[in-house]
Amino acid sequence: MTAASEQPAVDLREPAGWRRTKNQIATVAMWVALVAALVPLGFVLVTVIQKGAGAISWQFLTSSTIPPNILPLGVGGMGPAVIGTLIITGFAALIAIPLGVLGAIYINEYGGRGLLGRVIAFMSDVMTGVPSIVMGLFIYTLWVLHFGYSGMAGSFALACLMLPIVIRSSYEMLRLVPNSLREGSYALGATKARVTLTVVLPAALGGIVSGSLLAVARAAGETAPLIFTILIVESTNTNLFSGPNTALSTQIFANAQSPYVGAQARAWGAALTLIAITFILMIAARLVTARFTRYER
Amino acid sequence: MRAVTQADPAKSAGSAGPLAHRRPLGDRGFQLLALVAGLLVLIILVLIAVTTAQQSTTWFTTAGFKGIFSTDWDPGASKFGAMAFVYGTVISSVIALIIAVPVSVGLALLLTEVVPRRWARPIVYVIDLLAVVPSVVWGLWGILVFVPWLQPIYVSIASGVNGVPVLDTLFGGHNVQGAAFFTAGVILAVMITPIITSLSREVIATVPAIDREGAYALGATRWEMIRGAVWPHSQGGVVGAVLVGLGRAMGETIAVALVIGGSPEVTGHLFYPGHSVAAVIALEFGEATGGEFRAALIGLGLVLFVLTIIVNLAARAIVERSARRMRGA
Amino acid sequence: MHLRRRPQVLTVGGALVAMALSLAACSSSSSSTPPSGSSSSGSGSAPAGGSSSSAAAASGTINAAGSTFQTNFQQTAIQAFKQSNPSITVNYDPVGSGTGRSDLYKNTVLFAGSDSPIPSKEASEVPSGKTVLYFPVQIGPIAIAYNLPGIKGLKLDPAVLAQIFQGQITSWNNSAITALNPGVSLPSTAITLAVRSDSSGTTQNFSDYLVMAAGSAWKLGTSSTIKWPSTAHEANGGNGVAQAVKSTSGAIGYVDFSTATASGLEAASIKNSAGQYVAPSSSAATAAASQVTPKSDLTFVTVDQGGASSYPITYQSWDLVYAKQPNANDANLLKAYLGYLLGQGQSLLSQLNLAPLPASIDSMAKAQLSQITS
Repeated sequence: MTAASEQPAVDLREPAGWRRTKNQIATVAMWVALVAALVPLGFVLVTVIQKGAGAISWQFLTSSTIPPNILPLGVGGMGPAVIGTLIITGFAALIAIPLGVLGAIYINEYGGRGLLGRVIAFMSDVMTGVPSIVMGLFIYTLWVLHFGYSGMAGSFALACLMLPIVIRSSYEMLRLVPNSLREGSYALGATKARVTLTVVLPAALGGIVSGSLLAVARAAGETAPLIFTILIVESTNTNLFSGPNTALSTQIFANAQSPYVGAQARAWGAALTLIAITFILMIAARLVTARFTRYER
Repeated sequence: MRAVTQADPAKSAGSAGPLAHRRPLGDRGFQLLALVAGLLVLIILVLIAVTTAQQSTTWFTTAGFKGIFSTDWDPGASKFGAMAFVYGTVISSVIALIIAVPVSVGLALLLTEVVPRRWARPIVYVIDLLAVVPSVVWGLWGILVFVPWLQPIYVSIASGVNGVPVLDTLFGGHNVQGAAFFTAGVILAVMITPIITSLSREVIATVPAIDREGAYALGATRWEMIRGAVWPHSQGGVVGAVLVGLGRAMGETIAVALVIGGSPEVTGHLFYPGHSVAAVIALEFGEATGGEFRAALIGLGLVLFVLTIIVNLAARAIVERSARRMRGA
Repeated sequence: MHLRRRPQVLTVGGALVAMALSLAACSSSSSSTPPSGSSSSGSGSAPAGGSSSSAAAASGTINAAGSTFQTNFQQTAIQAFKQSNPSITVNYDPVGSGTGRSDLYKNTVLFAGSDSPIPSKEASEVPSGKTVLYFPVQIGPIAIAYNLPGIKGLKLDPAVLAQIFQGQITSWNNSAITALNPGVSLPSTAITLAVRSDSSGTTQNFSDYLVMAAGSAWKLGTSSTIKWPSTAHEANGGNGVAQAVKSTSGAIGYVDFSTATASGLEAASIKNSAGQYVAPSSSAATAAASQVTPKSDLTFVTVDQGGASSYPITYQSWDLVYAKQPNANDANLLKAYLGYLLGQGQSLLSQLNLAPLPASIDSMAKAQLSQITS
């Protein structure tokens, strides 16, 4: 007690001088970083909404033909591209999601500490970094050169892109399932497959679904894998298995390089549609996660 | 009672023990199915390497590995030197990193250290929005809005630095154009920020609270705490995150193709149009006449594949090594 | 309890899929399902008028790809053709002449658009036993677009053009240019070249013109890609060149006329071999085309063929087809659509800033339609 009265009072303010300034500069810099990241997003979204809103109409979304570039807005629309995006991405999801979830099941449930499981996990992480154009070239050389252009070839390329993403997110979700659930099921005499399918998978389902939705959102926006595999069409092609097709992303890419104002306006409309689709998928993913997490707690 | 004395199915997984043959067929079938699905990743990676190598052998045999380093790109005369594209990919990615790394790391630090937990979640959602905007939409906005907007800015910067030694080489030049290396770098920076931010956040979040609290207890300001407690723990992970961002930037195709200018030139002027490996494949595959041109483009695809695999392997290795070190510590 | 969650997610997912499928089903009213080219011939409507050689009514899909020069014409013709032939769907993808031809060799398209005949180095890729028929479909000018505010109707001749595009003339007030443009005060701005970096039929034909018209003054040869001077700004696609010219003061570039007009660029008047300075236009291109003498396989060169009112840098594009088609329906589809392009379709060309084929070539092409057999 006496020692305390001899010592000077402790200064509980922030340190004065240069140390404090450095701290403030750092804090300001971090907030500037946030603004720097958000400003381009704001610009893009505002521009796309402004320019795209003028193009969007029910006829735009459901027209059966894509008009010539030189025609102004008003005739036809992007219907074939909307259909193309939906069915090509849908089929890709149909291929990639089950395979990805099965792969994650292998890594987590059967791979354990074994070398194969770890190699597959590592390589699928690496595969998420493979450029999408390489996937497109791959399917071009493997499939298109022998079987021609088709929506299905585009789906294959997109599925190659989605597979490692689905594996990674499913794997993270499966890992979170507590072992006690598995052990309880084994104790009841269930086989490993039954445990995985009826106990582990449903427990992780929310996270798997949301991860898959995000992978689908990413695939819906991809262009490079499609430009080598689906060609382009002017009218809707609902046959996925034969004949070229078109998608919103490839149409935007083509129209962005056109000098005609009508084509550019349709590109903005298609961009708004594409962003709407990906945002809806993303919001759906968040909703699934939110409901799932709340229930867990 | 008998059920309890049966073999534990979990133990027989993957092992060829004496009780393995008791496992029902469906169970083993499912394991096989899962194994095949997992192997698909490896199969696809190998197939990519094999098919692209096969289709591009004519390019490799005529141009050889020197071809990658030659700047002589003249398809009309069957010259396919790829250096201009590799240069463009590297330069635009480096510009992107220089811009994106401070922003992403600053953002990650902001979200973990500065912003209260309640506000962090909505900000993360908005950053995810940034991540989900498709590349082609960035390219569309880039070519129709950003590039024309930048053109007069570049012109005034170029005339401003006219004569100044280093700056003139970088930002000068008498024919600057809106569609240029720098523009591609800026758009790439915006596109890779979300991934670097989210990976860095994951890493920074694993710094033990005790280190943070210890620093504060010693009277450190927040910045000093970050430098002294957070950074040493997370620098490996952040470097790995940056490398993942680099891999993404190098492989980005569509946005770059639309704003980089399409000019295969090796030049120090950042406001001049350039080209990149991914962009040339996307843009010129259509007009590629003759097997050799196409083989050259597919060969470029293989080069890009190998480069991104190497960068990603390095990234994962660094992240794993630093995670292991942290677990040990 | 997690099991209860599963049906909800499944219902949402199922609803999304159902929505997508029903959207697809609803708008498939005018689409077609059969694979590329072949289908069952049904009772289609009467074929487009003007082409007497079109056979019995056919229905199905024609998939085609090729030259970007043909994009506007093909897109407009496809739309118009659909009005009179709703049972035939045509798809044309402007991937470029090179890929278009190689798609034809691989049989993934029924016809390919190409700005030049099959080059000799590709001759080995044509499947053996197959004859390729050339159907010329359109003619159009290549504009020399420039960016000099306030200066319209710039005059250039082949020799000066060659020097400009080889980087030998570097500023606008060079004596060679001022000599051709008396009374016009040209600024001392440096000349920025805007050229194509990608392989292109426009480059091929422009360099052909320089070889023919400028002779030995043009040293860079002719090809679909040229080794331009290092100071040139290369850009991708016609629109890339147009944007480069538009954004840089003092720039000059070659781009097809419709793109130049759409981008709001000024085009120079070029001196033709009759000594007249002619500006690019649909009529000047028609005049140029009328000077052409096609070979028996209907290939020809349109640049620099003479004629007082011809625009000398005019070029052409063909649709390439196999003479022998694997089935009768494909043959009929091709005859119907190509017949339309050569018949009523020609009237669409002048509003697209292109030129129709001269009557003599048109009738030769129509006659060649009968060589498509099955």
